[in-house]
Amino acid sequence: MRLKALLAAGALSALALAPGLAAAKTLVVGVPDNLTGLDPTNVNDTLSQTAMRTVYQGLFGFDQDMKIVPVLAESFEANDTATEFTIRLRKGVKFHDGTDFNANAVKISLERLANPDNKLSRRSLISMLDRVDVIDDSTVKIVLKTPFGALINTLAHPAIVIMSPAALEKYGKDIARNPVGTGAFKFKRWAADTFEVEKNEHYWKAGWPKVDGVTLRSVPENGSRFAMLQAGEVQYVTLFPPELVPVAEKLPNLLVVKRPSIVGWYAAMNTMKKPFTDPRVRQALNYAVDKAAYCKVVESGFCTPLQSPMPDLLGFFEPQKPYTFDVAKAKALLAEAGYPNGFETEIFALNNTNQIRAMQFLQQQLAQVGVKLTVTPLESGVAAQRIWGVQKPEDATVQMQLTGWSSSTGDADWGLRPLLWGKGFPPALFNVAYYKNDKVDADFEGALETADPAKRGAFYADAQKRIWEDAPWIFLGASQLLTAQSKNLSGVYMLPDRGFVLEGAEFK
Amino acid sequence: MSTATSAPAIVVASDMRTPLGEFWRRFRRQKVALVAGAFLLALLLVAIFAPWIAPYDPATPDYMAILQGPTAAHWAGTDAYGRDVFSRILFGARISLAVGFLSVSLGGLVGVSLGVISGYYGGLIDSLIMRVCDVLLAFPGILLAIGVIAILGPGIDNVIYAVAVFSVPIFARLARGSTLSLKRAVYVDAARAIGVKDRVIMMRHLLPGALPNVIVYFSMRIGTSILTAASLSFIGLGAQPPSPEWGAMLADGRSYIGVADNVTLFPGIAIFVTVLAFNLLGDGLRDALDPKLRMA
Amino acid sequence: MLEYLVKRLLGIIPVIFAISVVVFAFVHLLPGDPARLVAGMDASLEDVAAVRKSLGLEGPLWQQYLHFACNALTGDFGISLKTRRPVITEIGERLMPTVWLTVFAMIWATIFGLLIGVLSAVKRGRWQDYGGMIVAVSGISFPSFWLGLLLIDLFSVRLGWLPTGGYGTWAHFVMPSFTLGLGVAAVMARFTRSAFVEIAREDYVRTARAKGVPEKFVIWKHTLRNALVPVITMTGLQFGFLLGGSIVVETVFSWPGLGRLLVDSVSYRDYPVIQAEILLFSIEFILINLMVDVLYAFANPEIRYK
Repeated sequence: MRLKALLAAGALSALALAPGLAAAKTLVVGVPDNLTGLDPTNVNDTLSQTAMRTVYQGLFGFDQDMKIVPVLAESFEANDTATEFTIRLRKGVKFHDGTDFNANAVKISLERLANPDNKLSRRSLISMLDRVDVIDDSTVKIVLKTPFGALINTLAHPAIVIMSPAALEKYGKDIARNPVGTGAFKFKRWAADTFEVEKNEHYWKAGWPKVDGVTLRSVPENGSRFAMLQAGEVQYVTLFPPELVPVAEKLPNLLVVKRPSIVGWYAAMNTMKKPFTDPRVRQALNYAVDKAAYCKVVESGFCTPLQSPMPDLLGFFEPQKPYTFDVAKAKALLAEAGYPNGFETEIFALNNTNQIRAMQFLQQQLAQVGVKLTVTPLESGVAAQRIWGVQKPEDATVQMQLTGWSSSTGDADWGLRPLLWGKGFPPALFNVAYYKNDKVDADFEGALETADPAKRGAFYADAQKRIWEDAPWIFLGASQLLTAQSKNLSGVYMLPDRGFVLEGAEFK
Repeated sequence: MSTATSAPAIVVASDMRTPLGEFWRRFRRQKVALVAGAFLLALLLVAIFAPWIAPYDPATPDYMAILQGPTAAHWAGTDAYGRDVFSRILFGARISLAVGFLSVSLGGLVGVSLGVISGYYGGLIDSLIMRVCDVLLAFPGILLAIGVIAILGPGIDNVIYAVAVFSVPIFARLARGSTLSLKRAVYVDAARAIGVKDRVIMMRHLLPGALPNVIVYFSMRIGTSILTAASLSFIGLGAQPPSPEWGAMLADGRSYIGVADNVTLFPGIAIFVTVLAFNLLGDGLRDALDPKLRMA
Repeated sequence: MLEYLVKRLLGIIPVIFAISVVVFAFVHLLPGDPARLVAGMDASLEDVAAVRKSLGLEGPLWQQYLHFACNALTGDFGISLKTRRPVITEIGERLMPTVWLTVFAMIWATIFGLLIGVLSAVKRGRWQDYGGMIVAVSGISFPSFWLGLLLIDLFSVRLGWLPTGGYGTWAHFVMPSFTLGLGVAAVMARFTRSAFVEIAREDYVRTARAKGVPEKFVIWKHTLRNALVPVITMTGLQFGFLLGGSIVVETVFSWPGLGRLLVDSVSYRDYPVIQAEILLFSIEFILINLMVDVLYAFANPEIRYK
């Protein structure tokens, strides 16, 4: 009986889902992972944060090129020491529950995140916050305990959102299951592998959004995501596999969009472990790897070699003199450092296809200069244990690690400091190279004590130059971000940090 | 043909009570199994002589020739690094056969020992071992594999252990079943009455009785193990690169389906045909060995 | 009979207890700190500490176990570390997709398996036998993820007949249940064939034949019915295996089922979800085993335990 009912229901919904009827109204996006939560202040993956950008908004945001744009803010002023920021807010904005967006909502949201008692996982982003003063209904003054020049960038981070105070009051901890923001869409449902939002009829940007709703579906298999797009079941696919681009480009109704990213890939070398203690060895390995071939083989050509420790889209980027592919020079440097016949070492990364491929590539390249590399793909938990299970640097088992990093604040500070700061050895931060250069540390710290772009630029220029010469990493490439979409869809784009913006989605 | 000697070789080692000739007479009628056996023997030779047969080194990349279709120079084309797919499949035969054979041998050894002990002694030991088997069976195999590989680290030898664990409870049940029925046989009672040691009874009388079933299952299980290893590669826990394990080749090449089908097609066929051959061989062995199924 | 049943049911309790301890020990033995995995790569030490606290991962292990076991007895399996939703909700959402997929896979696999098995047994030694067995054996010789991807490429992308994946209408079930059931069908076919051939040699079947009972009647009335008992056993076992959710099939077809949940949970070290899911599998598996044994005992009183 139940079986029959199920079959009948199935047949009916098959009719309802026939392409052309429903597809024109709701945007369906195929993403590789599942969301981990609906509270942006308490999740850590880009996907969950970017999905929640349909519901929640921040004071600031990023445009397509990672430039800061005001969202719920209109303008700001900072004092000279970067400790006080006065922000004027947009007027006439309402939360989904009908309450007004105002200075008080900003105060409550920011102070909620900064309060250690709330144990929110993104607190460290604004842990320097002292308080938020309400100047009037549409003006706030943000007061910091210590100077922090990158504050506005940080406020654009997708984790720092303004929530409805009424909803926070009503739901308490359950706000994580009942998000109420100011965004273009209202939360509808999140179950298993599907996340759904529907149009916010009272959105403050008149005339938007143009679609009735958005559905995110988690489709882990690359090939399956592409197949769904071809079959018209989804209209937008993120993190499109580079090797499939030639096929997709031949299809008349599909569009592949290539966007630059701020995701830089590198192989960190543990500078406290022999033979990587010698900068000549580290430089030699940089000369031994053909970065152009890396881009071609690992990223199918959708990548640009790194020209500095950070990708070129980040503010304060300064290009450095490239380590041009030169096997002879690499061998000479190795010989000089006392390794004429190379040495044996090990590299690890996660066990996904792309990282395994990159490690295999390095293995082949380094073999040319006599360095015998063992490739170890690790399951994520094991990799995390290997990196962060270490209390003292001398206990670290890391020799080399391949990884990618994107500065989630879009700022040079978070693009470099977590990875290369002398105070950032694991488990504190992510300095897996155990790199410590006092001058670089001084640059990082100095740059945070001012909001003056010229001064900050000078600090970061110096830091990039020193890091490049010290070569704690094999600098690989910044991958391009690939998305694919139906040709009749417009207004969606991917941000350089792998987040995406769906607010402007429109079907033609 | 040289196959004539291959299949009975397994039986020689097993101290069969059925005369060899009788077995061979019956096995010879299993035409399909004979073909399968011949294929596997040929594959074994390929695996052994891979370095001499293979036209290219399986690990050397050629970035000038990536993702080429089959040509005269590369019979099965090249993969994303420009490595010769055909050579990799030849070398991969070594790994896939080794994973299949070693993991099932290990699982079989542990499982059969446990099963015979369990069936012979009965009582508390029996319930204990069987409950452990229940737990093992109920535990999702893939989680066990993840655990084994997480704790021991990645690598082909750990894949072998992980896959071996899958086989233990099933071998244990098989061996226990036949032990239970043989235990009551007159000659076992007689042996016990004249004071033969337990260990000897188990080795001499009970183990051989379990062997026909175990051999049949063994040959089929090798195929399953090769597939399990491939699945582990699919979820990223399989053989380490640049190892040309077939499952890893298939998993690595899967994003090229539609772009360069040769990268997955050939290893896929290699796995399919090999597993098929092991299963067909197993079927033939079962028909030839199982007295109940003997042609009237 | 009743006594036997009660005894078997009581026997389950220690096994489940053992499994709960093993699972608990096992997940905590896995290298990897859930607090770090949940907090993310760019979290600071204090963030990680805050997460650890909020997840209830402090205190000695035995205390954590007692806490888990006591709550589990009252049906409370805690909160997922990854999504912070109740474990019951996480599992509940994915239970039915997996159950339905299993049911559909089992239905077609059983029907085809039985048909091929009977055909092969009846035409033993002839081409139908070889053909049937080769088809069946092919079914367990395919790497299922490859088969799944090939099916998607053919039926969804090239022909556009079937949806690529996801849980929804009957059309969504076709490819995943085919891929999942293929192995089962093969096992069923081979098993049916042997059971059938074996029974055909029993005295009463020979007698029937000797008495001149028509061949068709012999096959359907005497042989098949008796051969069904071991076949049912096999069906039960296979059903138990599949209910655990197939990681590979669920991944390839984006199926929101228990198998994928398990893999996701393992990679996040989401202890409460892993523990609850494995307990669920074990209980389900043991119950099915028990049912099969009871069925056996009914059919053949000799093997009933003393």
